[in-house]
Amino acid sequence: MNSPDAIVIGAGVVGASCALALTNAGLRVLIIDRGPVASGTSGAGEGNILVSDKEPSPELTLALRSRNAWFEVNEDIGGGFELDGKGGVVISRTESGIAGLAKLAKAQRENGIDAREVNAAELRKLEPHISPTIEYGVYYPQDAQCQPMLAAAQMIRAVKQRGGKFIQGENVIAINSKNGQVTGLTTNKNAYASPIVLNATGTWAGDIAKLAGSYLPIAPRRGFILVTVPAPELIFHKVYDADYVANIASGEADLQSSAVVEGTASGTILIGASRERVGFKSEFEIPILRQLARQAISVFPILKEVQLLRAYRGFRPYAPDHLPVIGEDGNISGLWHAAGHEGAGIVLAPATAELITAEILGKTPFMDPTPFSPKRFMNQDPSAGVHVAS
Amino acid sequence: MKPEQVGVVVVGGGPAGLSAALNAALAGASVLLIDSNSKLGGQYWRHLPETWLEQSELHLDLDTGLLLISAVANNPKIEIWSGAEIWSATHENGATTLRLITKGVEKIITTNALVLATGAYDRTLPFPGWDIPGVMTPGGAQSLIKGHGVAAGKRVVVAGTGPFLLPVAAGLAQIGCEVVELLEANSPLRWLKSFPTLIQNLSKIGEAAHYIAIFNKFGVRPKFKRAVVAAHANKDGELESVSIAKIDSNFNIKKIDRVKCDLAAIGWGFTADTSLAGALLLKQFVTKDDGVAVSVDENQQSSIAGIFAAGEITGIGGSELSIAEGVIAGLAAAIYLGCKAEISDDHRKTKVKKHKFADALINSYPVKSGWQGWLTDETIICRCEEVKYSKLKFSVIELGATDSRTAKLLSRCGMGMCQGRICGRFLVDLVANESGISPSDISEKERISVGNRPIITPISIELLANGE
Amino acid sequence: MFTLLVKPNTSITFTFNDLEVSAIPGQSVGAALLEAGDRVLRVTRFENKPRAMFCGIGVCFDCLVVIDGAPNQRACITEAKAKMVVRTQVGGA
Repeated sequence: MNSPDAIVIGAGVVGASCALALTNAGLRVLIIDRGPVASGTSGAGEGNILVSDKEPSPELTLALRSRNAWFEVNEDIGGGFELDGKGGVVISRTESGIAGLAKLAKAQRENGIDAREVNAAELRKLEPHISPTIEYGVYYPQDAQCQPMLAAAQMIRAVKQRGGKFIQGENVIAINSKNGQVTGLTTNKNAYASPIVLNATGTWAGDIAKLAGSYLPIAPRRGFILVTVPAPELIFHKVYDADYVANIASGEADLQSSAVVEGTASGTILIGASRERVGFKSEFEIPILRQLARQAISVFPILKEVQLLRAYRGFRPYAPDHLPVIGEDGNISGLWHAAGHEGAGIVLAPATAELITAEILGKTPFMDPTPFSPKRFMNQDPSAGVHVAS
Repeated sequence: MKPEQVGVVVVGGGPAGLSAALNAALAGASVLLIDSNSKLGGQYWRHLPETWLEQSELHLDLDTGLLLISAVANNPKIEIWSGAEIWSATHENGATTLRLITKGVEKIITTNALVLATGAYDRTLPFPGWDIPGVMTPGGAQSLIKGHGVAAGKRVVVAGTGPFLLPVAAGLAQIGCEVVELLEANSPLRWLKSFPTLIQNLSKIGEAAHYIAIFNKFGVRPKFKRAVVAAHANKDGELESVSIAKIDSNFNIKKIDRVKCDLAAIGWGFTADTSLAGALLLKQFVTKDDGVAVSVDENQQSSIAGIFAAGEITGIGGSELSIAEGVIAGLAAAIYLGCKAEISDDHRKTKVKKHKFADALINSYPVKSGWQGWLTDETIICRCEEVKYSKLKFSVIELGATDSRTAKLLSRCGMGMCQGRICGRFLVDLVANESGISPSDISEKERISVGNRPIITPISIELLANGE
Repeated sequence: MFTLLVKPNTSITFTFNDLEVSAIPGQSVGAALLEAGDRVLRVTRFENKPRAMFCGIGVCFDCLVVIDGAPNQRACITEAKAKMVVRTQVGGA
């Protein structure tokens, strides 16, 4: 397949979702990744499918659609990626935190999210092991979780079964274009012709944009996750501190962390979440692991008795305005971007794929894609002269 | 809790670690010896408390070991932390920080001179039924005898490959088991290829003769080119019998017989325990038998100045090589801290000679790829996560994994409590085979990265939270 | 049975699934149980299969038992102490 209808660069969850949507729309799709499936950020996250952490915004609209789209994908490809509509519980312990959370929940309800305030007794019914110091929370039945690597792999499997192709181990070294229109790409091993190239390389999306002579300001935001030994079921929802929402929106480069705790299908418990802007620094930093452990215990004291088995780190791709980048490049036509989803790449992937597929096919998307357009970064490349829109 | 700054730190209380600790101390360094076992001696010199009588006949050279252990234990410059497990290690600005758990508390120490002597454990291969209670590693069966005075069964089959099967079978016979089969997968004729090396190591022939005398006494008849290819459980789920196959030189099955037994001790040589070396990002290399070892220079110094490695983790070679390397590493670590000492040529000569013998061992006791043909779809590959061969194959054939890391994350093979210590090494070969990659094309990086586990051993969330 | 070893005649006792087991001081929980005829130490969490000591030296984590309420204790390397309460580990316990 050297001249497919579309080439997707990146075999993470976003790339796989886009490839599946394009394939289902009738295109012959080639997926190329320099590494194996989900070997970047998708392979280093919890598999969050959250609507609870979104403030009323275009991103919330995208997340709500996407959450439901995940269950449609599950039906479409026959599951196999541990999709679990377990629901989420957000807690707060300070007066101002509780007020803020209640206000957020109200605004979310007005925007279609099922957000139910719960008191101490109701909270204990949802999470029997929660700390006695926690007396207020908001329950989000729509929050869900999946195993992101399996999700990417299963979607790519479906793409292959439906006539597409996945090539791994080839590094894209050039995006080819003629008169401002994409004609294909060249890897370290082959050249492929296609009028559509979709950049779904997450944290590395800026590099691909640069290869095409364009510009995307995507940078990494590092996070650590602790994984416990398999334990009996102790935690039934995704439970996190409301501080998490504030941390996501924060523009600070310093370390921020807040308790995010949940069980998984395999019996392990995942403990997050830290955020810091330190480039691609990969060292394991024990003080951060300790802070995550302390925060988790403060929400679930029972975790004291559970052992840490593994820890891993990943790099969330973020844009300066914290919105994903979805749409056609401002400078090169035929070059599309679906990247920069920060910590929300898993939840936003299927709706991102729907948006971009509708746009590629010239159909009306389910929402206005303008806020996510890569064109918002036009004329911002600090290293280049002025770009002219095509 | 401020990290405690100490002199030479030696990790591991076996032949290499004891030798390193003693020689560093004799060179004038203060030494902290950290051992995960409750008693010094390592696997090799594992022994019973003194309250047990006449145990020395179970060990070929326990006297050397007890002498060394007592010299270490009585040296005022050596502090010993037994039963201490290191869960994390990092290296920064020339100093190594070790975080360890001992008696339920975490301790943190930093050192500028570290000797790793973390040893090895039995190399295993999966086969149908290897998860049945009653199937053990030879090292496991032997540790029960040498360390606890317990026979793990009554009717025993000892199988696999390598000279280690001999002392294990002998020990089992001596303690009262009926050793119904002693099976070496390879042909003894393979030794002919290394005949000159064998002649230079006559003591090894003496050892073999010692075991053969025991076998004659107890009526054990070793057989060659045979392997246990399946184990079968009784109604309680415990071992009842094994399938013993006559195999060709590539380990392909020719003919199968069933033999009743309640213990099968099966091992395929050793895997170096490189977890700590990996956490410290030391340079490692792939050995001739596709194992992984730590790269060291002539002074046992690793790729990081001030970190030394000795014994089995630099390449499987037995106790004499471990002792020679341990002596060199201990002296070199003391010299690194400014102590005056000299490393004698004798140790270096012993090291060279024993390395040759270790190479001959690898050539004489290879593990051939035919073992993969023993598996069925139902065979457990990852014992911890109960991942079956069919699921591993699915991750490759259907989900597109072409490397062991991706196959692991898609199948959970190697993601359990042991963190791939048991299945990681052969997982690489299985994934390559399913992906159509020839064993010789498996990258060194892939074989090495199987041992990557930044959290070396589980630590309670409470201890983690309470530390600094 | 033992031709070579002369056992010390001191012993301690602990319980395994509420039944008393004796051990010689210094013996591991796993070794004492094996000698008492209790080979199966845990039941796996997915398929409910029995497991016993495998590597015998703390590497494989197959001999996990619950000791004094704490799960995931390796029977092969944990020294038996008087009055310990040891239980079969079922699943993640």
